[in-house]
Amino acid sequence: MIVELGHYALVMALAVALIQSVLPVIGSIRQDAGLMALAPAAAVTSFFLVLLAFIALTVSYVTSDFSVQNVWENSHSLKPMIYKISGVWGNHEGSMLLWILILVFFSALVAFFGGNLPAALKANALAVQAWITAAFLFFVLLTSNPFQRLNPAPIEGRDLNPILQDVGLAIHPPLLYLGYVGFSICFSFAIAALIDGRIDAAWARWVRPWTLAAWTALTAGIAMGSYWAYYELGWGGWWFWDPVENASFMPWLAGTALLHSALVMEKREALKIWTVLLAIITFSLSLLGTFLVRSGVLTSVHAFATDPTRGVFILGILVVFIGGAFSLFALRAQSLKQGGLFAPISREGALVLNNLFLTTATLTVLVGTLYPLVLEAVTGSKISVGPPFFNLTFGPLMVPLLLAVPFGPLLAWKRGDLLAVSQRLYAAAGVSLLTALAVVYFATGAPVLAALGIAMGVWLICGSLTDLAYRAGAGRVDLQVMWQRFKGLPRSAFGTALAHLGLGVSVIGIVAVTAFSTELVTTMKQGGQTVSGPYTLVFEGLRPNTGPNYTELQGRFAVSRDGEQFATVTSAKRIYTARRMPTTEAGILTIGPSQLYVSLGDETPDGGTVVRVWWKPWVTFIWIGTIIMSVGGIVSLFDRRLRVGAPAASRKRAAAAEQAI
Amino acid sequence: MMFWVLAAVLTVAATISLLVPLARTVSRQDNATEHDAEVYYDQLREIDRDIEAGLIAGEEAEYARAEVGRRLLKATNANAKSRPGSSLSSAARYVVIVFLPVMAVIGYLAIGKPGMPAQPLAARIQAPANDETDIRTLIAQAESHLASNPGDGWGWDVLAPIYLNLGRAGDAETAYRNAIRLLGSSASRQAGLGRALFAESGGIVTAEAQAAFQAAEDLEPGNPLSSFFLALGLAQEGNYAGAKAAFEKLAANSPPDAPWMPQVQAHLKGINANLAAAGEAAPGPDEEDVAAAMEMSPEDRMAMIGGMVDGLDARLRDNPDDLDGWLRLVRSYMVLGEPEKAGDALDRALLNFEDGSAGRLALTKAAEQFGLTPQRVE
Amino acid sequence: MTRKQKRLAVIAGGVGVLGVAVLLVLFALQEQIVYFHSPTDIAEKPVNPGTRIRLGGLVAENSVARGQGTTVEFAVTDTANTVEITYTGILPDLFREGQGVVVEGAFRPDNALFVADTVLAKHDETYMPKEVADSLKKQGVWQGNEE
Repeated sequence: MIVELGHYALVMALAVALIQSVLPVIGSIRQDAGLMALAPAAAVTSFFLVLLAFIALTVSYVTSDFSVQNVWENSHSLKPMIYKISGVWGNHEGSMLLWILILVFFSALVAFFGGNLPAALKANALAVQAWITAAFLFFVLLTSNPFQRLNPAPIEGRDLNPILQDVGLAIHPPLLYLGYVGFSICFSFAIAALIDGRIDAAWARWVRPWTLAAWTALTAGIAMGSYWAYYELGWGGWWFWDPVENASFMPWLAGTALLHSALVMEKREALKIWTVLLAIITFSLSLLGTFLVRSGVLTSVHAFATDPTRGVFILGILVVFIGGAFSLFALRAQSLKQGGLFAPISREGALVLNNLFLTTATLTVLVGTLYPLVLEAVTGSKISVGPPFFNLTFGPLMVPLLLAVPFGPLLAWKRGDLLAVSQRLYAAAGVSLLTALAVVYFATGAPVLAALGIAMGVWLICGSLTDLAYRAGAGRVDLQVMWQRFKGLPRSAFGTALAHLGLGVSVIGIVAVTAFSTELVTTMKQGGQTVSGPYTLVFEGLRPNTGPNYTELQGRFAVSRDGEQFATVTSAKRIYTARRMPTTEAGILTIGPSQLYVSLGDETPDGGTVVRVWWKPWVTFIWIGTIIMSVGGIVSLFDRRLRVGAPAASRKRAAAAEQAI
Repeated sequence: MMFWVLAAVLTVAATISLLVPLARTVSRQDNATEHDAEVYYDQLREIDRDIEAGLIAGEEAEYARAEVGRRLLKATNANAKSRPGSSLSSAARYVVIVFLPVMAVIGYLAIGKPGMPAQPLAARIQAPANDETDIRTLIAQAESHLASNPGDGWGWDVLAPIYLNLGRAGDAETAYRNAIRLLGSSASRQAGLGRALFAESGGIVTAEAQAAFQAAEDLEPGNPLSSFFLALGLAQEGNYAGAKAAFEKLAANSPPDAPWMPQVQAHLKGINANLAAAGEAAPGPDEEDVAAAMEMSPEDRMAMIGGMVDGLDARLRDNPDDLDGWLRLVRSYMVLGEPEKAGDALDRALLNFEDGSAGRLALTKAAEQFGLTPQRVE
Repeated sequence: MTRKQKRLAVIAGGVGVLGVAVLLVLFALQEQIVYFHSPTDIAEKPVNPGTRIRLGGLVAENSVARGQGTTVEFAVTDTANTVEITYTGILPDLFREGQGVVVEGAFRPDNALFVADTVLAKHDETYMPKEVADSLKKQGVWQGNEE
């Protein structure tokens, strides 16, 4: 019964979404408080309805109810509990339901925390959210219904693809969707503002926390996905420029640009048109990503649960929403008033530079991702655009951007003094150059580019620390006052510094792995040994082992340095019983920030085993950096200023205003 | 019934939650400009803090304050107050009351299965077995036991032959392998594994199956099961002389009334026929033919296979006692997608084997497997 | 600077960056893309040795042979034509005879053997790389379950 109740709740959520799509808009046009107040109530209601549907599906998975087709196709009674739960979104239908759940979750959050928003903006934004919700609910109910039933019920399920039986699946998609779908709020705010015609500095401030939340989740989600692919696929790579990866990376790039341009709009009321456009573009890229991943039109190593026939439906949604949004934008953009002026050398100027590079980079990724599709449609020849393309186009665009990052926060608004800022950054530049020299010195024969790359990472780290120190008044006040000020700095200042610092850490990881990692493929017999980086591996042989739903052959390697064994690392070849599908479990040994990565291959006729060993120095910095970036986002979210806007007008404030004018 | 009660409760709850904001008399009228003003006040305070921290100097600070001040002035001048709930609200109320339940119920009825209960696996397993003692339920019980105790070798050992008899060859293979791993090798387990592999490959003694039977033979020399399949494997390889010797040895070592004797005799008959025919035509395609087939276009390949099947058909008209040949012919026709010809071949084959003979049994089994019904059953 | 000049500066900067990006993209598209071929394409129109291509098809039955150490030789076929491949490294888990694969690499100058440096077999047993599926459909061999 719970299954059918969930199904019913999902249908009713559609009905609620349809009401929420129409009535609040009428309310905002007619200035009717009642109709506008309907929007938050409907948003919360549809959240609970979709939640009920999601719980119903989860219960079906947990209890192995194979009368639900979706459960039968993707679950197995022998599966460990955590994978039964994560299996809910390990398939097309279930993951679309999660997508919608997160969408209505964000709507409910706006309803709940949106006390500081003007009623009309809130009503319209929630109505736009409801349009998206309704479109995707139609999609799920008509083409991808997870509540299809089977009668009689099969006795055993077909099991989840073993690759997906991993904690990665429990964390990665929800985080990624929080990011993807979170940008829908920015989109809805942009459309609402265009409908309403009121786009000002206050709007930018209200959009920023949502952008920040979505960006933080997307950053963590992409990083998680990257690490998952890294250890699960057993290929040792952490980023493949695969279409599916690009699909999540493009909204991230555009979202990062949006985060920065909203700042300019909030402070100076400049870049209004651009910011609204970016908000639309960012979510459009999220939708495009959903389409690319779901439709399987592009060949990918990661995509699961694709279905070309359903892709057409999403393409329809994509065209209607993006087309509609851009039309509305074109209609209204003229009426937006110009904002504040600024000199090219200023905080605004730096942020414009940031936007310029980020959007251009987004564009190159977009071209590289879609070019094969276009070319096949036009000429019929099939091509693949791989890492070399992106390294050649995306890479050069990032270099000037990364160099400019430390300048941004230190420049003054409106008119900055580049010379003064450069002086403040002397120390950072000095440390970076010393690092470059040290790298060249210690890694004899180190490529100059690698040394400069690592220096760039250090530059970012030192630059963000310099920014914090300057804000605290370093050099101008004594230490105690500095500490007081440091503690009193707004959270967003720490957020900015952390995000930029994390970027630097990631850059160091990326450069170090690219330049200094070593790889070797060899055949090993029991007792044989091989050298990777500074370590020696001794193969201790293969032995069988059984897990809950798989059997495996484990290969153990003793790892030693300077003749002293200090660890073992185990890689395995597994066979999952239900699908009889083989997988390779890479053995990863983390030593400080670096990793030793071992992957087993086939057995050779002469009794040896093919083994692939990577030494990946500093590799964990890549993900540690992204974690720091996400933490920066969270810290910023707690900035008190982002919640301002609820009217509690007191005489004192009015007085302060009069004084100011 | 219970479902509709709960659905009704859900509907009412959702409807009420939408009606509340429409019914509420709005106590404070929302003024959009107040929200804006609040943001600008905060920006002014922020400038003050920056001045205090020495982050911006006097003149710049004045400009900044003036700019925010202008925004503030503009925001407070515009004045748009919303009206409290009006006639619109009451119209909206009707929309909600009518539209929500109607749409939900109609939409759900169109795609849902209202009467269908949830069927969690645990509940289905615990339910008492019905009069037919559903073997599938028993197996599911055993499987769930083994899920929590995968180290129970005896459990696997019991389950394996059941799987094999049910035709779940893949599961049987897994179960036998687990039993062998946990309890050690034994002739019956190895032979069972061999039979599972034999069944999985559609009636061919593959190298893997042969290895399993060989292991059983090594553990218990002369085990009739493994001897039989090893001999069959030789026959399938085309080593008729070896197969003949192996079958003859098995026959010599078995009591004459052993249940497998008819099968052995039938195979021997077929092998003798093949040996007699060996001089003239090779019984199966040789490697060159297969290699040639790989390079052909699909049509040509079909033609070649068709030719070989016709040859087999013709040969069987001369040697109607060749049970293996008949089985191969029936299967070939089925694979070629010609069930009528397969049925016809089956009928012709049945003519050559008496009622109750092993050959007849094998043929009827094959017929069942392919879903064929013999036309001329006397 | 006046408002107009400033805006011009921003626009000029934007056009500059975009121009550089476009040049990079055009250059990269010329140099760095890899064409996909089926064995039949290659039989009809040979590819220059040394040119990187992707080659897709089924792993031919009985063609996989382990050579020295970690080198493997196999053949990729679309049933009409076959190309011999040599590859050094670890094959993907789902690499099997009869399974669809995509390999990337180049022909050796003597044009006999294709040296692959990447072998892709999707991590999903029902998966058929899209290009392979298309070219096999053209050969009439594979009936996909998508349509």
